Amino acid sequence: MLSMFLKRSVLMLGMLLGLLVITFLISHVTPGDPAALAAGPDATTEMIEQIRTERGFDKPVIQQFFLYAFGILQGDFGTSIHTTHEVFDDIVAFFPATFELVVFSILIAILLGIPLGVISAVTQNSWIDNVIRIVCSSGVGLPMFWLGLMLQLYFGLQLGWFPLGGRLDLMTDPPMTITGLYLIDALLTLNFPVFLEALHHIILPAVALCFPALASIIRVNRAEMLETLTQDYIVNARAQGISVLRIIGLYALKNSILPTLALIGLRFGWMLGGTVLVESVFDWPGIGLYTVQAATASDFEPVMAATLVLGAWFMFANFLIDLLYGWMDPRVLKKG
Amino acid sequence: MCLAAGLLLSGGTAGMQEAAAFERVNGEKILVVAGRQPVDTLDPSIKYNASIRMMQQALYDGLVKYQGSPAEIVPWLAESWDKSEDGKVWTFSLVKNATFHNGDPVTAAAVKFSFERTLGLKKGPSWMLADFLKPEGIEVVDDHTLRFTLEKPYAAFLSFLPWWYVMNPAQIAANEVDGDQGQKWLTTNAAGSGPYKLKRFEQGRLYEVERVKDYWKGASGSESIGGIVYKLVRETSAQRAALLRGEADIVLNLSPDEFEQVKKAKGVKTSTDPALTSFGLKFNTQGKYMSDKNLRKAVAYAFDYDSLIALFNNNAVLQTSPFTDAVKGKISVADIPRQDLEKAKQYLAKSNWPDGGIELEYVFVQGFEATRQIGLVLMDTLKGLNIKVKLVPLTWPNIVARGSKPETAADITAIFTTPVSVDPDAVAYQYHPKSWGQYYGTHFYDNPKVKGLIEKARYMTDWQQRAPIYADIQKMIVEDQPEIFGMMRNRMVAYRDYVTGFQYSPVRMTTEIDFYGLGIGE
Repeated sequence: MLSMFLKRSVLMLGMLLGLLVITFLISHVTPGDPAALAAGPDATTEMIEQIRTERGFDKPVIQQFFLYAFGILQGDFGTSIHTTHEVFDDIVAFFPATFELVVFSILIAILLGIPLGVISAVTQNSWIDNVIRIVCSSGVGLPMFWLGLMLQLYFGLQLGWFPLGGRLDLMTDPPMTITGLYLIDALLTLNFPVFLEALHHIILPAVALCFPALASIIRVNRAEMLETLTQDYIVNARAQGISVLRIIGLYALKNSILPTLALIGLRFGWMLGGTVLVESVFDWPGIGLYTVQAATASDFEPVMAATLVLGAWFMFANFLIDLLYGWMDPRVLKKG
Repeated sequence: MCLAAGLLLSGGTAGMQEAAAFERVNGEKILVVAGRQPVDTLDPSIKYNASIRMMQQALYDGLVKYQGSPAEIVPWLAESWDKSEDGKVWTFSLVKNATFHNGDPVTAAAVKFSFERTLGLKKGPSWMLADFLKPEGIEVVDDHTLRFTLEKPYAAFLSFLPWWYVMNPAQIAANEVDGDQGQKWLTTNAAGSGPYKLKRFEQGRLYEVERVKDYWKGASGSESIGGIVYKLVRETSAQRAALLRGEADIVLNLSPDEFEQVKKAKGVKTSTDPALTSFGLKFNTQGKYMSDKNLRKAVAYAFDYDSLIALFNNNAVLQTSPFTDAVKGKISVADIPRQDLEKAKQYLAKSNWPDGGIELEYVFVQGFEATRQIGLVLMDTLKGLNIKVKLVPLTWPNIVARGSKPETAADITAIFTTPVSVDPDAVAYQYHPKSWGQYYGTHFYDNPKVKGLIEKARYMTDWQQRAPIYADIQKMIVEDQPEIFGMMRNRMVAYRDYVTGFQYSPVRMTTEIDFYGLGIGE
């Protein structure tokens, strides 16, 4: 286990370095003059040159890269050319909102997806199975952006059951910051009204975000369960009169869950990167929205920092899944 | 759910959740404005755009201010001013009762400091006066009198002053870090004397200002509110929903279709007025094809101008000059092209491509549906001339980058342009070679005669002498056809019917309103 941990850690560091290089290169080869954009539409050449010099854009690209990389090692992600805010501060401010949304969404997807996958497999070809499969197909097919808008218009505007957007009501002060996750912070500070309000706000965006992951988890889990349920040891268990619940819960599910776990890891990473659409619809002040705004303004440093953070998180999530894999299936450890 | 969503999309609002009232905090009414553009910084010396300027205008005061429609300059921190006969020396008398939010008086020294800071940092609005005003030309005569001595006379000088805000030097000095002149602090804090003071700056979410109860110029109708929240709602459908549900009291820049829907809703008022912004299809007059004036004329006569109006549901007016209607000295140029296929064919016959057979590149902002549709209209109309059009969607940074040089600029680029002043120099100068490389200079227009007239008129002080020169400039530009002069899209603002004091001024940008005077009625 330790050897696998070390190997994966070294691999992850290498991948992060690769990500840093690629992000930097992509940012610097894309057309668009960030200094000109930051200076504004009417800026004179002198104003643009001043910004270029201030930000070091006049230095050779290699030098810019090493300056940036050394900065990162010291925890300096630079400053946004547009907002002049420290990028690190921005990431700290925006990341928790995205993280909270993604964790909440993936929890919904797992808690609903695994049982529904099992039910679908156990009731194969029944009407229940068919309904679940239709939900899966729409989950995979519906664009997240469109689904978000529909949920917002129907449940927010038409029925008025949920707020249209944001993490809290306009005039509500956020709970005291401990983790940056409003749900957790509100609970830790025993601020239950804010907890309920935050919960109320997160439901629609989380449902919109989780739908594709939910559908995938159901599909994969169903397929794996169907295969597992035909295995000899399951038939043998049935023949011995072991209860169906025990067979499914103890024997079948444990063996069929591994591919689902890998899928959850991947989906978690995709969700972090893909929240931008949902964040945009529900005005969720997260890192996806922040990154896209920076990217469309050729604001390199926030884009590179956000990509690194999201990339690192994606790798970390998969790293955890790898470890979990190893724990659940010791053969993986042997293979390394 | 899908059925219900379909009904909603088709515009049905029956059965919709009743609109809630405006926000209240400690018994005071709070107005909520929903817009799409974040406020990057509040520092008046560093940057301006629609949302930034909206907040700066609330937090700071200038010597003068634009108000009303047509936009007029009215005294603000300056109660009066004099101009020397040669137009170089301007003396401003300041009001005596103006104070910054921390209680410090607004003095001539503070004004001098603010102008010097903006000029010295060479960012934001500094370009407006940098060629004419140097720090040594700013002189404090006494506590409430200030004198500007310009390097050379500049007719548009006064028209730029509304965007030069006055900052409190003491607060900036107290928050300076490593000689940054308070830049870091002023990004999310304010040191102004405006009708509102900053309460919350939550980046990417909302910005809240609190009304200054003893504002030196009076509340002017804002007595009914305790403050204003500018909240980011990034999708127009969500903006519409927020207005209808009462989660926002004013929404800015809805899409034309969303705007049509809210117009019909109960409890909602709308404002549509022509603005200073123009929309044009800029020809690259130094490019392979569009350097041919006859081809430019052919394309201009082939274009379907009515489609521009239809695309915006009649919330637009066709341009009759390179200058928009709100610009001083604007004339209607009699022979500005309108669709006439016969004329288009005649011009094409005189061009280097009498039979067409060419492909023109049309660049527009990716994701901006209206400009894509205009490209489709162009494509359709130019078929009649045997000219193909290739639609190229680009992000804004890429459009700016490509348009910076004639070698890389597209044949045709779709551009909205908003000048910051109603003085004709602000628009005429867009056709001066010094504007090449700017997004509005992607025409790379070069007519030495026009250039000479622009330079002559900007240094003249007598309007009676300037006006005929600008009339000639407009006619000459239309004759040279460096672009298809398109339309002035109306500003579209929708608000709940209890909002009072909304005042439109064409000089404001697409998503900018003036908070001063806004209130909530019964």
